[in-house]
Amino acid sequence: MGSCKTAATIVGALALSLAGSTLALAGDETETAATTLTREAPVPSVSQEQLSGAATDTNNFLHTNGNYDQTRYYQGKQINKSNVSKLRPAWIFQTEVKESLETTPIVVDGVMYVTTSFNHVYAIDAKTGEQFWHYKHKMGPVTTYCCGPNNRGVAIYKDKVYMGTLDAKLVALDAKTGSLIWETQLADPELGYSETMAPTAVDGKILIGTNGGEYGIRGFVRAYDAETGKQVWNFHTTPEDSTGVWATHDATGKDMHRDIAAEKAALKKMGDPYKTLGGGVWQNPAVDLKTKRIYFVVGNPSPDLDGSIRPGDNLYTDSLVSLDLDTGKYACHFQYIAHDVWDLDSVSPPILVDVKDKDGKTVPGVIHAGKTGNVYVHNRDDCSLIRFSEAMVDQTGMWTLPTAEGAPMLPGANGGVEWSVMAANPDLGLTYAVNLHQPMTYHVENSPYPGGKLWLGGAFKIIPGSEQFGNVTAVDYNTGKIKWQKKTPLPMMGGVLATAGGLVYTGEGDGWFRAYDAENGDVLWSFFAGAGVNAPAAAYSVDGKEYIVVGAGGNTQIDFKRGNNIIAFTAD
Amino acid sequence: MSRILHWALPAALFAATLLVGAEAFAADDIEQKAQICAGCHGADGVPINNTTPVIWGQDEGYIYLQLRDFKKGARKNPLMEPIAAQLEKADMFALAAYFKKKAWPNLGQPSAPGDVAAKAESAAKSIGCRGCHLDHFQGDGSTARLAGQWQPYLLNTMLAFRDGSRGNNPGMSDLMKATPEDDFEPLSKYLAGLQIDQYLGHGR
Repeated sequence: MGSCKTAATIVGALALSLAGSTLALAGDETETAATTLTREAPVPSVSQEQLSGAATDTNNFLHTNGNYDQTRYYQGKQINKSNVSKLRPAWIFQTEVKESLETTPIVVDGVMYVTTSFNHVYAIDAKTGEQFWHYKHKMGPVTTYCCGPNNRGVAIYKDKVYMGTLDAKLVALDAKTGSLIWETQLADPELGYSETMAPTAVDGKILIGTNGGEYGIRGFVRAYDAETGKQVWNFHTTPEDSTGVWATHDATGKDMHRDIAAEKAALKKMGDPYKTLGGGVWQNPAVDLKTKRIYFVVGNPSPDLDGSIRPGDNLYTDSLVSLDLDTGKYACHFQYIAHDVWDLDSVSPPILVDVKDKDGKTVPGVIHAGKTGNVYVHNRDDCSLIRFSEAMVDQTGMWTLPTAEGAPMLPGANGGVEWSVMAANPDLGLTYAVNLHQPMTYHVENSPYPGGKLWLGGAFKIIPGSEQFGNVTAVDYNTGKIKWQKKTPLPMMGGVLATAGGLVYTGEGDGWFRAYDAENGDVLWSFFAGAGVNAPAAAYSVDGKEYIVVGAGGNTQIDFKRGNNIIAFTAD
Repeated sequence: MSRILHWALPAALFAATLLVGAEAFAADDIEQKAQICAGCHGADGVPINNTTPVIWGQDEGYIYLQLRDFKKGARKNPLMEPIAAQLEKADMFALAAYFKKKAWPNLGQPSAPGDVAAKAESAAKSIGCRGCHLDHFQGDGSTARLAGQWQPYLLNTMLAFRDGSRGNNPGMSDLMKATPEDDFEPLSKYLAGLQIDQYLGHGR
């Protein structure tokens, strides 16, 4: 893999196609094979300095999770508890794609970038909702993805925006025109690799992981050169010795009922399973600019439910991992669930905040919400666990081993907290998570590696007729206590935005988008979007006016009503 | 047993067309290469019997992977294996692209009655069929369209995944094993009766 078309080749090809086959459309639009340009987006070059200062930049939303710490804490206060009741749509942009929407809008100087399922990218006027350009990725015939044709957004750096694609490419587009500048094939989609996460741009590098934990991939996080698309470094999320310490209990001290003797015998017979062990990375790494280290979480081992053919702890699946930003070299890790056979893995992106350690001393911390329904609080220096929160969901039966007939256990395999992003309010010391309650039975079956086909090693089944719901939970990460929790009628998937206006925003699968009081969880405002609000919100300002923006497109993974709207709200 | 009988009729036809097929694949023209397929899958996209799948309008990556798997023996079928054996990877992709562009035929299968549809919906939600086959069961890329496919073919396929006789997707086999046997008939009727033309064209 890793074939990389050079910038010159692509630019040359594009120049030809522009000269030879540009179509004149109705109005002033022009169209190349991939891009419809209505008019150039008036966007400036985005410097590293701007990206580094994003946390306090209330005009822009420059990173998928707000800033390199990934707090999703927007410091604007114009929309606050006193006026949030006046929030109303400023504009609604309808995309061409009515399918699962998980994008976080990126906003730079009044220009917004959103993505949709099937890798469309739109540049929109963030003040009016009018389109600048629309890029439609020319998808390869083979795409292999488990949970919807999703995309979670672009990264921006200098004059380009970057997106990972379902056919396992990384593409760089001209931020002004949407023209393809370069594309790099990251891995072979026929072997189960795909991209749905938003990349992270830092220090001239584009960081990206891979999906494929349901297909027996070997997971990775990589850095690519932002200018050329050439690989800078690669880190395999499953090391050649993936056996670990044969942990019998999870991070919270619960017995996982492993048969260590049987695993050791299997290891002797079949060797280390690292080559097809999964370990996808679904969400952005957090970046510590001071120490030049990144922090991300690694997903489940392959196959999901059958541990008999993957003996050992299956490092670094279900783990927090830290690497050196410049080299990709391992720094530290912490595994939550060794030898996971429930797919209750780690997906929600880590957040960097200062936390109280066990002695009450403030230290640089990193927090993560697991599909287990616990928030884990770590020391950033060595990844060690400081504490874990009270369970945010029912964990009845944890850890009951899967059986051929199906064994019930909570939470179901979607969590707890799925890929949904948390937001943290450092002023209150609270982190906000959205959870699912979906009773499931866990079934195990045995089959050999199928060469890139779906490889679950069994099934997780929603128990028909069982009650499902969700919640929004505020956790004090300095104590692990739940500060407040609000039940929702449907399981929650998407994520949270917090603001200095004392508010927390999150959406629900039936179409409701709500603002909560950050301190006590009171619902202060609600809007019905007509389709599932399962994308995380963002915030920005144009001409001194603050906006909240969110996608309402439903969700494939848990089958919430599809739509195609990007909705921006103001409070006037 | 019933599946063996279903193969008997086209088998005779194919004994003849295989000879023609060898020559057809020697030619470059994709139209010509596709003619061999028409023998069973239908010159107008309607297969000659309801245990042979519709391939007109089927998802491109899916067709490619099936041809690949027939060639390497991962998917068993006495008719398809010798045909696929003659194909190179480029031929498989070309055929997949060719058939993807064709319009899915309307087989005129009835919509499932309310109680059947409800049982099918419950079964589909339980194992998350739409997670891969998408909202309208239109499939995408490497995942098959199920909506409007022949009901007997759908039923046979689910049962074949379940008993392992179709062995080229262990994930599907596991999901079918976790599904109660009395869900398959409603699922097949529901999927066969879906008309989804109005939903096509989004995305890719």
